[in-house]
Amino acid sequence: MIVRAAVCPSPPLLARDLTGRVDVLPEMREACARAVSRLLAASPEVVVITGAGPATASWDPDGRLDLSRYAPALRTHGKPGLPLSLGLGAMLLDMVGHTGPRRLQAVGEGAPASECVQLGASLAGIAPRVALLAVGDGSARRSSAAPGHLDSRAAAFDASVERALHDGDMAALVSLDRELARDLLATGRASWQVLAGALANGDAPDVPRGGATVPVGEILYADAPFGVGYLVAVLEPERIS
Amino acid sequence: MSGKAGTREPGPLVLHGRSFPPGRPLVMAIVNRTPDSFYRPGLTWDVQAALDRVRQVVGEGADILDIGGVPAKPGGEVTAAEEIRRVVPFIGTVRAAYPDLVISVDTWRHEVGRAACEAGADLLNDSWGGWDPELAGVAAEYDVGLVCSHAGGLPPRTRPFRVSYQDVMAEVLGHVLGLAERAVRAGVEPARIVIDPAHDFGKNSWHSLEITRRLGEMTATGWPVLLSASHKDFIGETLGAGIEDRLSGSLAVTAVAAWLGARIFRAHNVTETRQALDVVAALRGDLFPTRAVRGLA
Repeated sequence: MIVRAAVCPSPPLLARDLTGRVDVLPEMREACARAVSRLLAASPEVVVITGAGPATASWDPDGRLDLSRYAPALRTHGKPGLPLSLGLGAMLLDMVGHTGPRRLQAVGEGAPASECVQLGASLAGIAPRVALLAVGDGSARRSSAAPGHLDSRAAAFDASVERALHDGDMAALVSLDRELARDLLATGRASWQVLAGALANGDAPDVPRGGATVPVGEILYADAPFGVGYLVAVLEPERIS
Repeated sequence: MSGKAGTREPGPLVLHGRSFPPGRPLVMAIVNRTPDSFYRPGLTWDVQAALDRVRQVVGEGADILDIGGVPAKPGGEVTAAEEIRRVVPFIGTVRAAYPDLVISVDTWRHEVGRAACEAGADLLNDSWGGWDPELAGVAAEYDVGLVCSHAGGLPPRTRPFRVSYQDVMAEVLGHVLGLAERAVRAGVEPARIVIDPAHDFGKNSWHSLEITRRLGEMTATGWPVLLSASHKDFIGETLGAGIEDRLSGSLAVTAVAAWLGARIFRAHNVTETRQALDVVAALRGDLFPTRAVRGLA
């Protein structure tokens, strides 16, 4: 079952080398490092990284992000085709010194909620102590300078995700509108629904809510400095007494 | 010295006790102690104006200061004594104010070079192609740098008159490599030798365009190459532009020369030159962008 879970964003600039000579958003990278450190502090037997990819698929756990796709001059090659979210998750684990078992699990970016929840539930069951890192972003339409320009619905969408993570409201994550998320260029939707499925697994099978555990969330970072919603959070599955 | 005659392994340029590796272009800011240089004559004739200019270019990131007391163009005689009077006390003042700055003196005369070295100069910038054979000995004696340039055999302060070359770049290479060898024989440390095709000196505009186009042949010798093209006539003739309208052309030449591996850029406009060089360094992969966010958020 899940012993602890974390949420991190997936902008390429999370990789320090990609931003050039000046560090960009070090506070966000530090928040990610804190979140991932907290995962490891829960003594998991395996860390599962999940994030959106072209298709639901498991990747070689030794895979690393191919930075040269983003910055050819760096000549830092990695696993061809490894989804950005998984590559950045792997980088975060490396950053905090994790050398134990890991699993890189892509979830199809268009997968419906039911599939995501099911995947989460199965991931929670791969070992007695599983830590889950869900990597993905809020809307990329948070401002007129955003990659996807401004969409007036973006801020409310991201706020609803932040609230759900904070409150441990897995049902709210499961009910996120897939079409809306796609319109808002929110790459995190599928991974958050995997997270919901994993945390709802608990001792009772009646996902998404009402099992023997209820997650308690803590937000470590929430901002959209470049018009893309970035969220860093840690979730503890607290047993209901 | 190694490889074919006159070449060296690419390596650091050592000036003023500092080592400048290949891939790190240097800006040499021009400070004229003359009343009549071609670009903005008399701008820094006044000592205080010259010191203000030094402060400005240092603040803009100049790596080297090139101080000259005699204009390249023909004109009233400037004796060695007068040239010394113009540049040497000024070099002393700048040396005292900026102990770490690399100071170059633009002169062809060994007497001036010697006095400049006594005052703290680090590099003898001989634009006139080794006219005074004793200058290299001064560089060796004071363990300073020497620029070996090509002026087509013209005496200092003369203009090219119907010059022609079978192959201008071959001529330039033959001459500057010969000077470099002569300098090494005279005792100049190879790591302190720079070569310069000397745009406009003993050349028409076609020649200067040709040596720019083929500058890679000079950089391939391994000697650090100095580009001294800022606002020169070949740019003006290329563009049909007056002296005040040659900055864009100067930066274009700078960019091409940097791309082809030149390492020192003598310039009137330090900020613009530095920016052009930084972009070329990033294009070459020698320098990463300052701050990359576009498309990465």
